[in-house]
Amino acid sequence: MSALTTVVVAPFIGAFLIALLGRTLGRWSALVMVGAAVTSLCAALPLIGAESPALVSHAWIPSLGVTFGLRADAFAAFFSILIAGIGVLVGVYSLGYGTVGLGNARIGRYYAALSAFMGAMLGIAVADDLILLFIFWEVTSLTSYLLIGFWYEREAAREGAVTALLVTAMGGLAMLAGFVLIGLATGTFLLSEIVADDARRAALVASPAFVPALLLVLAGAFTKSAQFPFHFWLPAAMVAPTAISTYLHSATMVKAGLFLLARVTPLFAASIVWPLVVVPVGLATLFLGAWQSFRETDLKALLAYSTVATLGLVTLAYGLRAPEQDVLQILSHATYKGTLFMVAGIVEHATGTRDLRELGGLRRMLPISFALCLLGVLSMGGLPPLFGFVAKEALYGSLLDSAMLGPQPLLHGFVITVVVAANAFLLASGLKLLIGVFLGSAPAERQHAAHTAHEAHGESPLLWLPPAVLALGALGLGLLSATGTSGELVNALSSDPNAEVAVSLFPAHLGPLVLSLVTIGLGTLIYRSRVRVEAMQQRLDRLPDARAVWDALLARVTRFAEAYSAWWQDGSLRWYFSAMLLFTTAVSFFALEARGVSIADAGIGFQNLGWESVCLAALIIMSTIAVVRSDTRLGAALALTASGFLVALVYAVYRSPDILLTQILIETVSTIVILLVLYFMPTFRKDGLSPGQSAWNAVVSGLFGFAMFVFVILCTSPGFRETRNLGQDYLARSLGEAGGRNAVNVIIVDFRAMDTIGEVTVLVVVGLCAYGLLRARRAEG
Amino acid sequence: MRESPVLRTVTRIAVPLTVLLSLRIFEQGHDMPGGGFVAGVLAAAAGAMYLLAFGLERAARFSWWRLSVVGLLCAIASGTVPLLAGSTFMDHVILEFDLPLLGNVHLPSATFFDLGVYLIVLGTLMTLFVELGLEEGQWNS
Repeated sequence: MSALTTVVVAPFIGAFLIALLGRTLGRWSALVMVGAAVTSLCAALPLIGAESPALVSHAWIPSLGVTFGLRADAFAAFFSILIAGIGVLVGVYSLGYGTVGLGNARIGRYYAALSAFMGAMLGIAVADDLILLFIFWEVTSLTSYLLIGFWYEREAAREGAVTALLVTAMGGLAMLAGFVLIGLATGTFLLSEIVADDARRAALVASPAFVPALLLVLAGAFTKSAQFPFHFWLPAAMVAPTAISTYLHSATMVKAGLFLLARVTPLFAASIVWPLVVVPVGLATLFLGAWQSFRETDLKALLAYSTVATLGLVTLAYGLRAPEQDVLQILSHATYKGTLFMVAGIVEHATGTRDLRELGGLRRMLPISFALCLLGVLSMGGLPPLFGFVAKEALYGSLLDSAMLGPQPLLHGFVITVVVAANAFLLASGLKLLIGVFLGSAPAERQHAAHTAHEAHGESPLLWLPPAVLALGALGLGLLSATGTSGELVNALSSDPNAEVAVSLFPAHLGPLVLSLVTIGLGTLIYRSRVRVEAMQQRLDRLPDARAVWDALLARVTRFAEAYSAWWQDGSLRWYFSAMLLFTTAVSFFALEARGVSIADAGIGFQNLGWESVCLAALIIMSTIAVVRSDTRLGAALALTASGFLVALVYAVYRSPDILLTQILIETVSTIVILLVLYFMPTFRKDGLSPGQSAWNAVVSGLFGFAMFVFVILCTSPGFRETRNLGQDYLARSLGEAGGRNAVNVIIVDFRAMDTIGEVTVLVVVGLCAYGLLRARRAEG
Repeated sequence: MRESPVLRTVTRIAVPLTVLLSLRIFEQGHDMPGGGFVAGVLAAAAGAMYLLAFGLERAARFSWWRLSVVGLLCAIASGTVPLLAGSTFMDHVILEFDLPLLGNVHLPSATFFDLGVYLIVLGTLMTLFVELGLEEGQWNS
């Protein structure tokens, strides 16, 4: 297995192992997860220095042009290392966090989902095929649903998980539609081929599907990265365990949307629609996130909104066609926000609360966390010498020189003002967090509780080591910027191969420095006058909240679904059968019409008709009449069985043993089922039919019978057939290609195995549903 | 259910024979009429015969739905193995072995897929029989 495949597969193997052994391993499953993460990390590290991108390509669904294609360029390698690296830290941290009082099986499930999530994220990072990317994308949505809903006893956890799943999965489906449009327009699903081939990209731009594809793909990216107006799912998802919030909602999953933006930038960014959509969304997300972050008193909500803000910032950079900024900003954010989330977890672990109003003066109790938090907040606020400062300088520099905004001074000024204001709010919420938690003195009632109930939880190394690695990363990368090493690194890793961001610890130009100073000054001012700012924020609360709009939408959809089901599925078997039969009739006639077949084409003659067929036909007609005329259900059922066996005899006459065998067995088994359910059927209301109902029954069955008659006769006519004779084709291929002489069975298990998989899956689901429904009914009654 | 000695005696002989027949039909499916689906239905018919003769209790002790889930996993696995070996999903191969007693054995990997279908059909039908039968028992009591 190549290194690239290992990157993706290792976590899934880990997840599988944990799923098998989780009950026994309990919290030590973390070691399996960490082992998988380390494997992926080690496999991903060499990819970064490779001369040319590593490639893996397996045929998957060749008939649809879908391949299992992986490709790791520098940006993908960066993302993989970020995901696997933080995966290691989160695994260790989870072990230290130690969810007390839960069963081993449940903790095992947690690590299994976490490991699978990591594998899916790595899959997104290195997928080259768009369909493959979509699948990994949805796997992250599903596993994150499990992880957010870890404490499923809590109402809020269930709601948060469902909201996150609905929003991101909906976006994912939109994205799939966009991918399909791209694939149709360019003729391939391989992203690298589209990017490398000018002709394909031109075909996409010229295609009428260009703008819909752009908007659909953006919908996927925006929902995943919690962009306005879809941002509300992220704070709602903060009910997850802190390790999960760190991993999913700060370091990795929410960045998948940004990753997607980077990947489609070469396809879409040249269009005018791109900045028109992406810039306002990014700007709105940035400002609302920062604004809301300062309001929150819950540590994790505060951090969640500040994450929303940063995601908006990077989106803005993509919108302004400045993708070279991405690695710099993402790396900076991952280091400080990961630190802060983990520190928030330590604080909650130690005190049992994460409400700022109940916290204070923890610097003596949690000295290491205090130091880490200080580093994190300084980086978040953009103060030297931390990496956050360097990143913000570079961002301001690129904003000031933006080729896109340059010609429009008003707009340019507006964007810069918003970015500066948002950054000031972020600094202010950082200060609020740092000072609120660690400085000052604890509120009286907390002081008491902190020293009794939670004295046992101090700072264990397992808890503070992971954030320490990240915080030192933020510091180290900042210091390294003095030498230009950081600059080379982020430029080499960026999604833009020609990235040349000037990254330096020492400001080279006056403009960015002035903006930085303004940011710091404004941020401090906002923090100092926080009482007044909060009062002002309260007054602006009248605006409709995206969350409320979403809830109203969901309620509307549910009500519609209920009304629709009540109307359409009214429980009357007669109505169901009418609908099914009429639909089949319509489809049959449509097929004949579309083929342009006329009755004259029917290749029907009586020369092959033997006396035995005539007798059988007569018997079938008689037994069918018996079905209709029977006075009891049992009689009807038996007559129906008789007609089924007579049909089987027809197969015997025309020498088709395969269908004969199947028909006989199916008749037998369905008779058993009919007899089993007969008991529960309502009394036979044969005479109770109104004339209208009788007439309707006659019309429906007459139409259906006529349609089937015409269809069966005509579909054997030459005009209906393909030019190629499929039957002969399969017969010729069955022994050579599949090693079987029974072509019917070979078709089922080999040539059309995908269809069969679908069918048997339905069968299993039906069985399980019947089992569940009947058991539940018995349990009730 | 009323006990019928005749039915029970016949069933004792017929059920093993039917199951053997179903295995035979399954085994020959690749070359002659038969295959997993039909063989599964036949085995379920044998199961139904058993239920009629001996009642539900013993058959209901086994969770038949597990059989269908195992079958589904088997079918999916048979399609996934070629994928891991570098081929496409569901791209079946023909395996040839030389075994000491049986001589040259010709085993298409699709057989495992077919085995999955067999188990699914058997498991689902038996689930239906047992559950519907239990329902009836509930009704009577």
